[in-house]
Amino acid sequence: MAWRGCLSHNFKELRILLCQSSPASLTTRTFVEKNYKDLNTLNPKLPILIRECSGVEPQLWARYDMGVERDVRLEGLTEEQICKALEDLVKIGESLKA
Amino acid sequence: MGLGLLASKAMRPASRIFNSQNPRNFLFRTIVSKPELQKPETSAAQAQPDPPPVDLPPRTPVAGARVHFPNPDDAIEVFVDGYPVKIPKGMTVLQACEVAGVDIPRFCYHSRLSIAGNCRMCLVEVEKSPKPVASCAMPALPGMKIKTDTPVAKKAREGVMEFLLMNHPLDCPICDQGGECDLQDQSMAFGSDRGRFTEMKRSVVDKNLGPLVKTVMTRCIQCTRCVRFATEVAGVQDLGMLGRGSGEEIGTYVEKLMTSELSGNVIDICPVGALTSKPFAFKARNWELKGTESIDVTDAVGSNIRIDSRGPEVMRIVPRLNEDINEEWISDKTRFCYDGLKRQRLNDPMIRGADGRFKVVSWRDALAVVAEVAHQVKPEEIVGVAGKLSDAESMMALKDFLNRMGSNNIWCEGTGMNPNADLRSGYLMNTSIAGLEKADVFLLVGTQPRVEAAMVNARIRKTVRANQAKVGYIGPETDLNYDHQHLGTGPQTLLEIAERRHPFYSTLANAKHPVIIVGAGLFEREDKDTIFSTVETIAENAKVVRPDWNGLNVLLLNAAQAAALDLGLVPESGNSIESAKFVYLMGADDVNLDKIPGDAFVVYQGHHGDRSVYRANVIFPAAAFSEKEGIYENTEGYAQQTFPAVPTVGDARDDWKIIRALSEVAGIKLPYDSLGAIRARIRTVAPNLVHLDEREPATFTASLKPASSQKITLTPFENVVENFYMTDSITRASKIMAQCSALLTKK
Repeated sequence: MAWRGCLSHNFKELRILLCQSSPASLTTRTFVEKNYKDLNTLNPKLPILIRECSGVEPQLWARYDMGVERDVRLEGLTEEQICKALEDLVKIGESLKA
Repeated sequence: MGLGLLASKAMRPASRIFNSQNPRNFLFRTIVSKPELQKPETSAAQAQPDPPPVDLPPRTPVAGARVHFPNPDDAIEVFVDGYPVKIPKGMTVLQACEVAGVDIPRFCYHSRLSIAGNCRMCLVEVEKSPKPVASCAMPALPGMKIKTDTPVAKKAREGVMEFLLMNHPLDCPICDQGGECDLQDQSMAFGSDRGRFTEMKRSVVDKNLGPLVKTVMTRCIQCTRCVRFATEVAGVQDLGMLGRGSGEEIGTYVEKLMTSELSGNVIDICPVGALTSKPFAFKARNWELKGTESIDVTDAVGSNIRIDSRGPEVMRIVPRLNEDINEEWISDKTRFCYDGLKRQRLNDPMIRGADGRFKVVSWRDALAVVAEVAHQVKPEEIVGVAGKLSDAESMMALKDFLNRMGSNNIWCEGTGMNPNADLRSGYLMNTSIAGLEKADVFLLVGTQPRVEAAMVNARIRKTVRANQAKVGYIGPETDLNYDHQHLGTGPQTLLEIAERRHPFYSTLANAKHPVIIVGAGLFEREDKDTIFSTVETIAENAKVVRPDWNGLNVLLLNAAQAAALDLGLVPESGNSIESAKFVYLMGADDVNLDKIPGDAFVVYQGHHGDRSVYRANVIFPAAAFSEKEGIYENTEGYAQQTFPAVPTVGDARDDWKIIRALSEVAGIKLPYDSLGAIRARIRTVAPNLVHLDEREPATFTASLKPASSQKITLTPFENVVENFYMTDSITRASKIMAQCSALLTKK
């Protein structure tokens, strides 16, 4: 999973929006619990903003250079799919740079 | 039987003597009382109610209050005017009447203070009791039959009123309390329609309580609310009752100022005009004022306030009830900073000319100049700093603008150069302000809540009083108004507690609801990550964070801080300001201006000509919190919004609109042009900010964070707030706050 270390090269900021309690956000919550430490250790300078708000649909937002943003809705996605979505966002970042 | 009867007995001979001695007085004595008017039977005959209606309409409690039964078995039933009500055991008769929807007149009783029972205004009749009882001090007993509108009760109130008015001056026309005076209202509702008093009234020397509270002690009715407030809530033993009988007066015994940061609240709780606001004296009548419900921004508590304005001028600020945040008190800084809103205001866009003087220009020119300069510098040389008083919308706009310019160097004052905004639990008061009341042990790390957040300090004090909670404090010598243990001054003590070597560790570990409060002043330290991980170790060892209780808190300093961190105002590099060529200061007055290079172009956007204006090249005038609609998140993660009470000054504009306009001139138009649209944008960054009037707790605790490898330095913690009364551009411009800092701060 080499792409995990490249997060800070492509992203300026990563935001995960989720609900504290809703079942729709359950997989996102476990994703955060399992992966946050790893992502943070590999990308110590990258802000990974985890924002809780009751009733919000789980979302993943990536901000690239020059204020460009892309988002993925995470509702109904499994943890692997969330990882995949994050990887796709990294690829978008690479293509934006090129 | 009633007090009124006693009063009439006591006074009739006196007035007769007075009249016989000086018959001319008869001419002046327009208010006449006849014995038959004083008989309870007469009024009773008039007020004799019809037989009670068979269908009793359901009554709602006074002010929609809800009754909480701590133990359902302890419910008792009483009858108020024939209506059965269920109340928990231990409630007083007065509270039972309130639950039944009957508002009992009172002067000395206040729900947040201890019961004194000395005004006697709340007398009601209780069946089988020989005398009327003071309902505020009488516990309700099962099956009690309380009667609140019988002739006896009415007569008793009338008598009490007569006694109170005996020595109360007739200066309502020049009294600042006029129109919102309990004595005025209640004498209209319950008093007699004529007076019988002809003697001289007593007078009392006024006391000097400082620059905030004006006293007219002759108006005092000795309810002792202010004395109880000072000792119980504010925690200063300054006020007391002196003398006995008719010589009784409220005072400080020796000439002494009231040195509490909550002293302004005695103005609100005084039922008469004895204690009024000194800065507001003779300025306006309360019925001329327009009230706007808003939020305070002078600290991170977000106290709920009402801004009373007349025309374009803020006349005063009073508290609004919010049980979760400020209950019904506010700090003196909140209450009296408003005169700063009228001084040193920036009202026109200005550009500094070659001669170093500011020249007034049009918005079009000012924006064009700034946009041109912004495009001439490299993206990484652009830096933005949001100030202490910024609202969420403007910080969002500034961040989007700088991001689109290619810069990522934006931060908010007071969060330090390397803030960690990832997990909200890392910078919020997770226990919540109201939740502090459950705590039994506090550990204050590098924070002095008394000056940093006076309302949080009042909560801690309340908890210390109610639960005998123990307080341990680590930091420089300070004056906390409750019992506390000064454990040490720096990280050394923190390490000892973390390594379980310190005796306070066992206190913390044995507590049921331990609370650790870390001051946001530590954000500025180089070794803040290590200090935070040390605190987290303590929290883990002492089980401060459990599934049912999160006692690890950060107490923020400024109104903008929580929202800034939520929005991710995190600078990419820590020392970007030293190489900056274009600096955008959005109300930031506490940045170290010496660090900004001499050739940098500085834009200052703000409402006050404060410190940063001296360095600015261009000034954009903006609206203050009393003039705009803006979201602020308080230290516990509770988002609230201000509302405009008065129009903006001169050509000033809302902060976010200025940035939006600048972005358009710069050719990178931000995709929002209304408040709704910018809030929709905030929803994609920090949706909790647009969930107004709700606290969004953080779920992920610090245990997710990797351990810090920084080295801890042993420099002691420092004072963060040097002067409670002057912390931001508004309070620094305020004359009242200047007086307070000159007279009240301890030297």
